[in-house]
Amino acid sequence: MRTNSRNFYLIPYVLWILLFVVTPLLLVLYYSFFDIEGHFTLENYREFFTPVYLKMTLSSFWYAFLITLFSLLIAYPTAYLLTKTKHKQLWLLLIILPSWINLLLKAYAFLGIFGTYGAANSFLEVMGIGSRQILFTDFSFIFVSVYIFLPFMILPIFNSLDELNPTLLDASNDLGGSSWVTFKRVIFPLTLDGVKAGCQIVFIPALSLFMLTRLIAGNRVITLGTAIEQHFLVTQDWGMGSTIAVFLIIAMVLIMVLTGRRKRGIL
Amino acid sequence: MTDNTIIRFNSVTKRYDNDPPVLKNVSFEIERGKFYTLLGPSGCGKTTILRLIAGFTEPSEGDIYFNGKVINHVPANKRQVNTVFQDYALFPHLNVFENIAFGLKIKKLKKAEIERKVKEALRFVNLEGYENREIKDMSGGQRQRVAIARAIVNEPEVILLDEPLSALDLKLRTEMQYELRELQRNLGITFIFVTHDQEEALAMSDEIFVLNSGKIEQSGTPTDIYDEPINRFVADFIGESNIVAGAMIKDYEVRFAGKLFECVDGGFEPNEEVEIVIRPEDLAITAPDDGKLKVKVDSQLFRGVHYEISCYDSDGNEWLVHSTKKATVGDQIGLHFDPEAIHVMRHGETEEEFDKRLEAYEEGSHEN
Repeated sequence: MRTNSRNFYLIPYVLWILLFVVTPLLLVLYYSFFDIEGHFTLENYREFFTPVYLKMTLSSFWYAFLITLFSLLIAYPTAYLLTKTKHKQLWLLLIILPSWINLLLKAYAFLGIFGTYGAANSFLEVMGIGSRQILFTDFSFIFVSVYIFLPFMILPIFNSLDELNPTLLDASNDLGGSSWVTFKRVIFPLTLDGVKAGCQIVFIPALSLFMLTRLIAGNRVITLGTAIEQHFLVTQDWGMGSTIAVFLIIAMVLIMVLTGRRKRGIL
Repeated sequence: MTDNTIIRFNSVTKRYDNDPPVLKNVSFEIERGKFYTLLGPSGCGKTTILRLIAGFTEPSEGDIYFNGKVINHVPANKRQVNTVFQDYALFPHLNVFENIAFGLKIKKLKKAEIERKVKEALRFVNLEGYENREIKDMSGGQRQRVAIARAIVNEPEVILLDEPLSALDLKLRTEMQYELRELQRNLGITFIFVTHDQEEALAMSDEIFVLNSGKIEQSGTPTDIYDEPINRFVADFIGESNIVAGAMIKDYEVRFAGKLFECVDGGFEPNEEVEIVIRPEDLAITAPDDGKLKVKVDSQLFRGVHYEISCYDSDGNEWLVHSTKKATVGDQIGLHFDPEAIHVMRHGETEEEFDKRLEAYEEGSHEN
């Protein structure tokens, strides 16, 4: 009786997984074996390994890596300072707040700020550097992406820092450890799970960014995400789009496995 | 101050923000190579003293001396002191060896040297062969030992122990009391042990500081403090006590419970109001008319080694008796005690005045 009722509660979950996770994945896999005319083919997979798509893959990974790196470099000290403030939950809320605003709105806001006559260029004028092209550059693309992903990096790191037992820091200090040694040998290894979680949350979506590449990077940066969008919406080559998606999914799974929780931290 | 003094507190006050001070003008000395216990209820300031010695916090007023030098502003990582924390604070990402070697690695000792010292420390705490264990695979008692090994391996001059036994079960706790005491004797390092458990304090210490609301109420050897508590708080906190109001008629004669008794205390004003203490184990049950006091048995608990019997005299004073003999609830019984069992406490007497009076009347009694 008890197991029966428990199974009953599982129904919504199982339905959800089947409808919105398993089916789409199978559909993507299914479509990847058809060419644009609807004939079964393995051509899409061969096509993926041509320089065009490999270069695109490489550039996707490179930009995702840069975005993750800069997010981490900014997020870790920020999260650390947050745990030291008096009203840390309030400060955290203020940092998370922008992530509730629609991505598109934020992207358009940056179009205004970084535009030729935008705030950023006015500032450069005042500083005597003179206005220059900011929009549609690698810099603006990475800057805006980091801005958008930052809360997602800060949150897990903040949580792991906040959970850290403060007596451990006393203990390290007591055993002769300076602040730097304490950070290197105790704080960082013990918050590594938070760092990994943050990197996952940033790196994986960053791999398939597509809207920002168009709005902020002006299509100068073409990632796998952009390619998928183009194939589905412009060239109508659903087969090729699905094939790229399959590789993207494989890449994501690999990253999840590689950055997954291990028994112990680094040494 | 003798050469043997290693730590000295000179009128140290500690307050956090604008709250009332947690430590009020405390002065004391710690001698090399002894086992000290800071004993008191929670919130009495004992852990604050430990944190001040360790260097995790700085005094608001007063000075702390270490080997004759003021160390108020010396950071914790530069002090010759190591701490065993209440929750052990072992690094969960490191195994036993790495935990113990943590301090040695910071000092940049040679690898072979580190290995030798860690092995030796593990031998001291009876954990040989546990080097590669993960902390999470160890029991509470074993973690406790690792924490102690991690402290002693650095060969500090003082080891601070912050209620390190409170998380262990009774049997293990008693076992560790013996081990800690033995370890301290073998190493010859000064131990400063913080606890709220008076039995633990009595069993282990060379010297006890009894603390209450930021002040040291009394310091002395365990027997001093048990036999000669200075005031009601100490008498009540250390062991079970019968405390009743009385009056000192003259030296060696005290009146309480409506009767006159011979006692061994002196140095009071004639007819001074006092409090008298008799320990429950100093009371013996007799036939109703043979005892010095006549009481009625109110309740009785079997405690294993003895019965704890609660009685009331005709004035309504409660008398707690520890006896191996059984009593019957509701019966009238007599209580006998020796003059030495009566301890007289003066109201509001400080430790200094207490010591002075003790010396004065002891000298007097020698002349007689």
